[in-house]
This record gives sequence, structure tokens and C-alpha cells, in this order.
Amino acid sequence: MAAPEAPPTYRLIGTRIPYIEGPLKVTGRAEYTDDIKRPGQLIARLLRSPWPHARIRSIDVSAARAMPGVAAVLTGEKYPTPFGVLPITHDETAIAVGKVRYIGDIVAAVAAVDEATADRALQAIRVDVEVLPEYTDPKTGVEKVAEPIHARGLNGTNIQKEVVQHFGDVDAAFAQAHASVRVRGSYAGVTHAFTEPMATIAEATPDGRLTVWSATQVPHYLHRALSEVLGIPMHRIRVIKPEVGGGFGGKSDPLPHEIACAALSLETGRPVKILFDREDVFVTNHGRHPTQNDVRIAVDAGGKILAYDIEALIDGGAWSSFGTVTTYYNGVLSMGPYRVPNFRYRGRRVYTTKPPSGAMRAHGGTNIRYSIELGLDELAEQLHLDPFDLRERNALPPHSTTVNQFRITSTSFVKCLKAARERSGWDDKFRKLPYGRGVGLGCGFYISGSNSPIHFTPKMPQCTVHLKADMDGGIAVHCMQADIGQGSNTLLAVIVAEVVGVDLDRVHVVRVDSDVSPVDIGSYSSRVTFMMGNAARRAGESLRDQLLAAAARVTGYPPEKLVVGHEKIEVRHRPDISISYIDALHAAMERSGALLASGAYTSPPMGGDFKGARAGTAPAYSFAAYVAEVDVDVETGIYKVEKVWAAFDCGRALNRLAVEGQIEGSIHMGLGQLMGETMNYRGSRLMNPSLLEYKIPTPQQMPQVECLLVGDDDPEGPFGGKEAGEGPLIATLPAAGNALYDAVGVRFHELPITPEKVVRGIELRQQSGKSWKGVS
Amino acid sequence: MHLDPFELHRPTSVEETVALAGRLAPKFDYLAGGTDLLPNYKMRLNTRPNLIALEDVSELRGVSLDRVGAMTRLADLEAHGGFRSAYPGVLEAVVEVATPLVRASGTLGGNLLVETRCFFFNQSFPWRESLGFCLKADGDRCHVVPQKEKCYATFSGDLAPSLSVLDAEVEVAGPDGRRRVPVTTMYDAAGDGIQRHHLKPGELLVAVHFPPAARTLRATYRKLRVRPSFDFPELGVAAAARLTADGTIDHLALSVGGTETFPKRFDELTGPLVGSRPTLPRVRELAAEVQKRVRPVHNTFLAADYRKKMTGVFVRRAVGQVLGIGEGRP
Amino acid sequence: MDSPMSGRASIRLTINGTAMELGCPPERILLDLLREDLNLTGTKRGCDLGTCGCCTVLLDGRPVLSCLTLARLAIGHDVTTIEGVTPATGLSPLQKAFVEHGATQCGFCTPGFIMTGTALLRDHPDASREEIERAISGNLCRCTGYLKIVEAIQAVGKETP
Repeated sequence: MAAPEAPPTYRLIGTRIPYIEGPLKVTGRAEYTDDIKRPGQLIARLLRSPWPHARIRSIDVSAARAMPGVAAVLTGEKYPTPFGVLPITHDETAIAVGKVRYIGDIVAAVAAVDEATADRALQAIRVDVEVLPEYTDPKTGVEKVAEPIHARGLNGTNIQKEVVQHFGDVDAAFAQAHASVRVRGSYAGVTHAFTEPMATIAEATPDGRLTVWSATQVPHYLHRALSEVLGIPMHRIRVIKPEVGGGFGGKSDPLPHEIACAALSLETGRPVKILFDREDVFVTNHGRHPTQNDVRIAVDAGGKILAYDIEALIDGGAWSSFGTVTTYYNGVLSMGPYRVPNFRYRGRRVYTTKPPSGAMRAHGGTNIRYSIELGLDELAEQLHLDPFDLRERNALPPHSTTVNQFRITSTSFVKCLKAARERSGWDDKFRKLPYGRGVGLGCGFYISGSNSPIHFTPKMPQCTVHLKADMDGGIAVHCMQADIGQGSNTLLAVIVAEVVGVDLDRVHVVRVDSDVSPVDIGSYSSRVTFMMGNAARRAGESLRDQLLAAAARVTGYPPEKLVVGHEKIEVRHRPDISISYIDALHAAMERSGALLASGAYTSPPMGGDFKGARAGTAPAYSFAAYVAEVDVDVETGIYKVEKVWAAFDCGRALNRLAVEGQIEGSIHMGLGQLMGETMNYRGSRLMNPSLLEYKIPTPQQMPQVECLLVGDDDPEGPFGGKEAGEGPLIATLPAAGNALYDAVGVRFHELPITPEKVVRGIELRQQSGKSWKGVS
Repeated sequence: MHLDPFELHRPTSVEETVALAGRLAPKFDYLAGGTDLLPNYKMRLNTRPNLIALEDVSELRGVSLDRVGAMTRLADLEAHGGFRSAYPGVLEAVVEVATPLVRASGTLGGNLLVETRCFFFNQSFPWRESLGFCLKADGDRCHVVPQKEKCYATFSGDLAPSLSVLDAEVEVAGPDGRRRVPVTTMYDAAGDGIQRHHLKPGELLVAVHFPPAARTLRATYRKLRVRPSFDFPELGVAAAARLTADGTIDHLALSVGGTETFPKRFDELTGPLVGSRPTLPRVRELAAEVQKRVRPVHNTFLAADYRKKMTGVFVRRAVGQVLGIGEGRP
Repeated sequence: MDSPMSGRASIRLTINGTAMELGCPPERILLDLLREDLNLTGTKRGCDLGTCGCCTVLLDGRPVLSCLTLARLAIGHDVTTIEGVTPATGLSPLQKAFVEHGATQCGFCTPGFIMTGTALLRDHPDASREEIERAISGNLCRCTGYLKIVEAIQAVGKETP
């Protein structure tokens, strides 16, 4: 039997590569939207609804319009075309039409010479409304209601989407189960809280074109939405994405203010800028959904999972946003990394009169995962199994199919388990640390790019990359992918440099500009590394082949005998015979001038043929096993996660520095949701729209992190790589939640776990007479 | 976010400042470090057409062991070696204020007079307008405890409790000259919560004075908050004590902030312990009694009942520490 | 002597070592002056309320929140922005370390961290991990989890003789 082939090695791929735009960022020279100032630009401000739900009777803007310095005041009726990120749920308008649906909904937009004038104009607008009932609790919204928030709610309710799925026979599985567990999880909403507030500049010009600069993570969807709502063909709209100061999903929907800003520019013929203040950012939200879930898990005597039975009630807020996807994901992403032979799910996403929820890092996979992992921990305890052993027994094998027909190709989940167990010293710590200190295991699973792009018409690749190599020896890279800090520009450059064999500084990633960048559908669903990476590789190969052909003409060796070296092309096994990259390039240019190359990626067909079968299908999946160690002050409930051992399978880590950054940042964000971040509502009203009262963890609250990158190459990923942008968040929360149980003997099923809940939990345990680690 | 226009005055002496204040009253605010006032102004909270900047009033500066000028920046206090070693209990409070960036501008006087805080008050103009303005700004009712008489916004300074337990005094200058007010009695415990202290209109905080005995006390400050930076106190407990050579309690003081509209001293509970030997049961009793007597309302991030409960824990730990019989976590 | 300042009377400021005279009403905030009037856009506006640290500049060497500083109170003081700590060519040691250690992701908070870190290293080149964590705890980063920021600052501190 032949020895297994060693994985290939590369010059750049797999090393630690600092961001290519890093020097611009550390000097303040990187240009974000608000850093751009257009000549004669106006400033726009938005009038937001003070009512959670109301019918607009009339809006009197005459006084505002008459104010000196006010250039335009717009209300909703001029651009009533609905839009939304999903083609099937277009329920938003740029400015409210007929109704307002949450405190913060946009009622009118003003463009004026400066912010102060615009703010004064807002105060001069008179809005007459009929106040309608507010709906804050999704439980009420599942029944028929007096005044549905949207006409599209199911049968007079506020249900935006209901998903019912059943695979196998769950009731039979439970009937024959050796043990089962039920977890009722409750999750407060959380939000992205990127440091850069949203900002947009729109400039309508006399040539009939409209240019929009915006802090967006999906320039292409913004491009579409602008065209649809404003009635301007896409080719006359130019969308530019400057540097973006964080997104995490919050800048992935086309947002109403972006369209309103463009409308104001059309109205005035002048450039218009809108910059959000922090409260604008918070009420625009689109963060992780407040969720209640009810999870039952059945296992056999050996701890093998027999069935999941899951219900989820998801608080959508005022709009659909990504909600249909959310509703599916809360079910279908609950299974991996385990084999679950029987599965039943009912998920309902309900409109409420609150700021809309949407996609946030590890969208749809985070809250349900926490419930599942806490349930598995409880089952392991019931069966006197080590939590690691229980999970290993249930690991999905590589190249398998799940009960709902997800195609699993690569998985290094078992390697993750082994690494986390060994590095954390688990066997010496679990249930052995003193009262108040504990370790916990949490696992994760996430899509590496959604197989079904949101916009599928016209049918086109999910990503296209163009390269231009000219006589200067540089390679310009064009692609509409959106670097929002995750390092995708760097990866794009690295892949091209790797394939073409040149130094990294030859590769210039051109700023995203719809006039020149071929379509990529943006930074969401952890798709960029996989899809853009493959497209970039193909584009690089196409350019390389042109260089090889030219080198063949010069050297007389056939192209198949030539290989790319570092800054040169050489004869295979004869490195002494070579031609420099520049000479090959110039030779290639003799016939056609600058070289152009293109590469594209379309994911292969996959998934079953039942309703909703495509939701959650991905060309690859990431896997994770994290151990967290926590220290609790049992009297005050204040705790610190001291260390996280993060074993993660992103296939081959293409840029280790960037992958570590994603893992560390994900752990920070995950712990934020666990420890204190919350969209704190009283009724429909957000009480904490500020970075002071929205509790993002500080440096002192960060644990040490040990990244264990153990993934094997994925067969279809670029150079074997998979996603590392969202999956790394998921395992953080249950690892810490289970560690809290090990520390104090309480299972916390409600997030965030604030100190007061820890104290209350310990009291309830004491009242129940249960002692823990010898402490009553 | 922009500020509405105002006139900015820059007096250079205390007398000039007080005269100016007398002329402008009540249509002015003093501007010290600005880290509390300017966010409030940006949210259009009780803005006034005149700001008197205290930046150039040199008498308000200077740090010695007896006296610290009211305009002393918290960061400078933090960096002052002599002050640090003389009053470690105060330093514990200083370094817990907000963030290093706020402390770089924020001042001692500013923290003593920091605006009280409430979920319904510290909000933007449109936010407050949409709910109906409250009696602390632009309105006539309270959203926390529904009535129209009293404001329940929470006292959120960290330094007042820690200075109170050292029996420090503030020096105040006003139209009628100068006077000294103990930090402990400077705040209005019986008022409507809007007028929060006993300073007269236009009176200026000049300095904090420390009695010699303050340096003989062992003191500590413990702050409850969700994060170890940024957050205002959800509870702040300061304690100071001195033991005699034979180990009996010679002096004991306790002040609790972050729970009501003013920092609260508990002399009636600590007094009876003086002359006795410190024991854990007595400290626990004291803590339980203080817990009973604080009445936080739910207008900050953490729930009122939890803050109340933690008052007991924090008092027990703080008093235990200064008496040298600590139990539980430091 | 008190002379109320209103209207657009001009003020003299030293910014990044250059003395300048410019119109500035009393309510002008330093951050606005830098970004809007002087196009010094390296200083970022993250929250405008002192709760993120993106707008940190040095005032006489001290890191302060420019969003909570009246421009007129900077008269007579030296203001240093991110543009002022950047060498004419290349990067400062701390800037270089931020790039190499992956301490910048989206980059929006980065100028603020560079300012805070620069001041910290000037005063305490030997700062411990805990001291660095405390010193940067008024600057918010949502991308990195701070670990690589602390590493970068510590690495420069160790190189400093």
C-alpha cells in the first residue's frame, strides 16, 4: 500500500501574513466613508419614529422645507418600492410608507447645509398618526392579532416565517431512548457594535449616473436595491466600498438610509452624506435575534444521539431582513458536528415592533448551539460519560451525508476534540478543580459559504475575479468581495502571488467599485475565503498559463515542461534554465498588450429536494471544539473566563495570523453575548443604545487564547482552506456555559449570564438541596 | 453630534469666577474636564447658554497631602506618588473611574459633582421626547418611580464615598466668601433628587482638604460594575478604620454610593463598633443592616435587588479588610 | 480676564508641531475641528460620546478624547494626532508592530490605540501585560479581542532599551 501523499507546501499560503493595507490603517490613512468629502456636499439627517407602531395620517414638511439651509425633505411616498435582502421578503421601504413599525423607523429624511440645520429641520416636521398596538412579545404574535405589523404576516398573525421539518421518526426514537434531556434556552438580542458607524455618500451627476460610497459588506446587494427602489438601471449606478470599520453582518442588508441618502442626492443634484450617530446604529440593529428555544435530545445507553426535537421562537423585530434564513438555520445548523438520525424542528420567526434583527456573526448557529451543547453536557453527566467521549462517539464522519442531506466532505472534528482535550489538561481538571472554578467543553459547526446565493437570477457565479498584468510588472486584482477587516484583500493578493509566483507587493487589490469590479456577492455566510479563494486561484492560473505560453515561446520548452518559481518561470527539474517573470510578462504582451485573466466560482449542486432543502447547504463546513476555564466569585457572581483552548478546523489555515485574529475576535464577541451584552428592551423601547450601556468586554475580561489549528485540507477549498470568520464564535459560549456548570453546579440557560443570574442560580441550587463539589 | 451654541468664559481667578457666576446665574454651567458635561450637552440635557471654563483658574490646581485642587485631573492624582502612598483607599477609587481616557481630562471636582444617572435621563433628546420628558430634564414626571415629586437618578461618583470616609472637606467659594463643607454632608439626602447638594447657586468647588487624621486610616473602595472599565458604579463602598495598639476599633466609617441619589454614610451603625474588638459576626451584622437600609431602584444596568444584596457582600468585605479580619475574596 | 468667546473669532493652535490660526466658535469640538476643518481624518469618530476611544489624540502628550474636548480649550496646548506620530517615511515602531502582530483588523479603532499606546510606551516602556490592558481599557476594539494589540505594545516595549 502506498504511503499517503503528504499535503503540498506553499511559499506564502499557510504562513503568517500581515494585512497588506495594515500600514494605511495604523497611520490613519485608510479611507473610510466618512473620511471622504465631496465638493458641495450636503448633510442628511433622519427623522425617526417615536412610536412603536402607528399609521401615518399626514406629514407636514412645509416648515422644514422653508428653513434656510435646507435643500430637501423627503417622505416615503416618493420611493415606495419595497426592498429587502431576500428577494422573497421585500417588506422594507427607504422611508416609511403608510406605517411606522418600531421606535426608530425612518419617517422623513432631510438634506441641509450642515448637521445643525438638518437637525433643526427635523424638529420642524409635524407628523400626525394613529397609534396602533405595539407587539413586543413574539408569543403574542403567533396568534391572530388586531393589527398585524405587516400585511404579509401568516393568517392575520405576526408570524413572518414558519419552518416545519421532520426527518426520520423522532417519536419512535424518543420511545426507545435510554436517556433524554430537555433544555429551554432563552437568549437576549445582541448587536454587532462595529466601531465605524454606518455612513453613506451619494452623488447624482448630470450625466445621469449615481455614485454611492457606503460602509457596506455587500456592495452588490446595495447596488441591486438602489436600482430597484430608485428606478435607475444598475449600469447607471456605481457603488464604491471604501474601507469598512467592521461589519459582523450588520452592514450586509441593503439599508434604508443608504437608499434615502441616494434619493436626497437625486432630489438636490448635490452630493449628500449621511453619518450615523451611535443611537442610529443601535436602532438600525439587524443583530442576533432574541430567541426562545425548546430542545429535546434522546440518546441510547452508549450516548449515541437518537434524535433532536426542537422548537424555536424567534423575535424578528420590524422587518424580515435575513429572517427566513434565520428560521431555517436555527434548526438545520443544530445537527453537525454530530450524526443525528432523527430530527424534528418547528421554527417560527415573529415580527415585533422592535428594531429589526438580522444576520450577525455565526448567524442562526449560535443560540441553538448553546442549548444543544448544554444538553449534551447534561446527558454526559446522566450517563457518567466524559463530555469528550460522548461527542466523539457522535462525530459526523468525513464524506458523509446528514439526515437532511447536507453533504459533508472534510471534517477534522475528532482531531479538534483530541487537541482541545490534550492541550487543556482536561482529564486533570474536569470536576476536579475547586468549587468556583471549572472547565467546560463546547463544540461548533458552521457553513463555509452558503451554497445558494441569495440572488440567483440571472444565474451567475458566486464570485468572479479579474486580473490585469501590465508592463509595469504589477498585477491589479478586481473583485467585488468586501474586506471589512477580516483580511480578504490580503488573501486575494496572497493567492494571486502564490499562483503566479511573484512577490506580494506586485499585487494590488483595487478598491471595490462596481464600474470595474466583477460581481462577488459579498461578505456574509462565511463565503469569501472559499468562494473568492477558488475564483482567485483560477484567475491566477489563467494568468500563469499565459505567462507559461510566452515563456515556452522564448525558451523553446513546451509549456507543460515549465513551472512557476519565485519571480520567474523555470524548466521543471532544471531550475538553471529560467526566464524572469518580467521577461515572460513582456513577451506575453507582445501580441495583445496588457494581460487579462478571469476566474470564477460556482458551488456544485447539492442538497435534497424537499421544501427548504437548500438552507444550510454549503460546499464545506467548519468544525470546532473549545475548552474554557472559568473562575467564579460565588458570592458576587462575577466571573472571568481565564483561558480558552480553541481547536478549530478551517481546513488549511491560509493565513495563520488572520485565522488567529478571527478566532480571538470571535471569542471576544461570543463572551460578550455570554457575559453581558444585551439589547435591553422595556416593551418596544431600547434602553441602552450606547456603547456605555451595551457591555462589550474590555481587555481585562479577555481570556488567554490558545489556537489549535488542526484542520486537514478540504478537497474543494482553495489550497484546502475553509471558513474561519464565524464558526470560531459558536463554540465559545457553550464552552464557557459548561465551565460555569463545572464551577458552581448550575446550568445557565438564559443569556447573558450576568453576575446577578449567577448568584440567583447558586441560591436556587442551594435551595434545591443539591451540593456541588462538596459545597452546599 | 454637535453642540448648540453657547458663550465660553475663561476666568483666571476664583474671585473672578464667582463674580461671573453671580452675574450669569442660573444660566451657566461650570466646565471642568468636560467628560460628564459635554456628553450631556450633546444629548441636550439641561444645556445652558454659558459655560464657565475653569481650566485657567490656577488656584483650583495643585496636589499636596493636605489639599487637592478641584481641577486636578484624575490621571494626575493617579500619577502623584505622594498622594498615592498617603491615600491608597482614595487611589482605589480614582483608578476605577470610567476609563484612562476619561481620567486624563476628568477632574476631582467634576467627579464629586458628577451628574446623577438614570436609564431614562441619559438618553438623546429624541429618545426622551418619544417617551415623554422626565422631571430631571424638560419634564415633570419620573419614569422609574411614577410620581412627580422626586427624582431617583443614581449618584454615580466614585470619589465621594472614598473621601467621605476620610472625613475630607470641600472648600467652596461663593458670593458670600469661602466656607468648608464636609464631603459627608455636602450632598442633599432629603431633597428632591434634582437639587442634589447643599452648594448654593454659583458656588464653586475650590479644593478638597484632608484632615491629618486621614493619613492614619486604613481605607478601601470597592466598586460593583459589569466591566472593569467604562462603567459607572452600580454600587460603590468605601470604608476606613483605625485600630488602637491593643487591637480595638478606634475609628470606623462607611459610605455607600451608586445605590441612591446621594452617597450615604452609616455612622449610626459603625459608631457602636468603636471601642470594641473587630469580630466577623459584628462585621456581618453591620453588613446585613446596611444592606437593609439602602434602597436602590432599577434605573441602571444591574437589577436593584441584586445591587442591594451586593451591598451586604461589599460592605462585609470592605469593612473586614480595613479591620484586618477579611473573609471571602479580596 | 474673562472675555466671552462667541462668534467665529479665530484661535491659535499648535497641531502636529505646526502653529495655525483658524476660525472656531466656542461650541466647536476638537474632533470636528480636526476632521471637518483641517481634514485630519486619521482621527476617527466612533461614538462622539467618549465611550470608544477612536478619537484619541495627544494634548501636551496626554491621550485624551477629542470628541469631549472643546477646541478652544486646546489653545496654547500642543495637539498631536495620528498624522503627527507617523514618520514622514515608513512607520513608527508601534505602528510597525501593530501591522506585524495582526493588531489591526478593520482598522477603525487603530489610530486611537496607536495614540494611547504611544503615550504609554513613552512613559512606561516596561509596562506589564496587566498595565497595558488597563492603559488601553478606554479604547474599544470589536475585531481583535485585544490580545494582539497587547502583544504588539508589549513587543515594542521590550525592544526599547
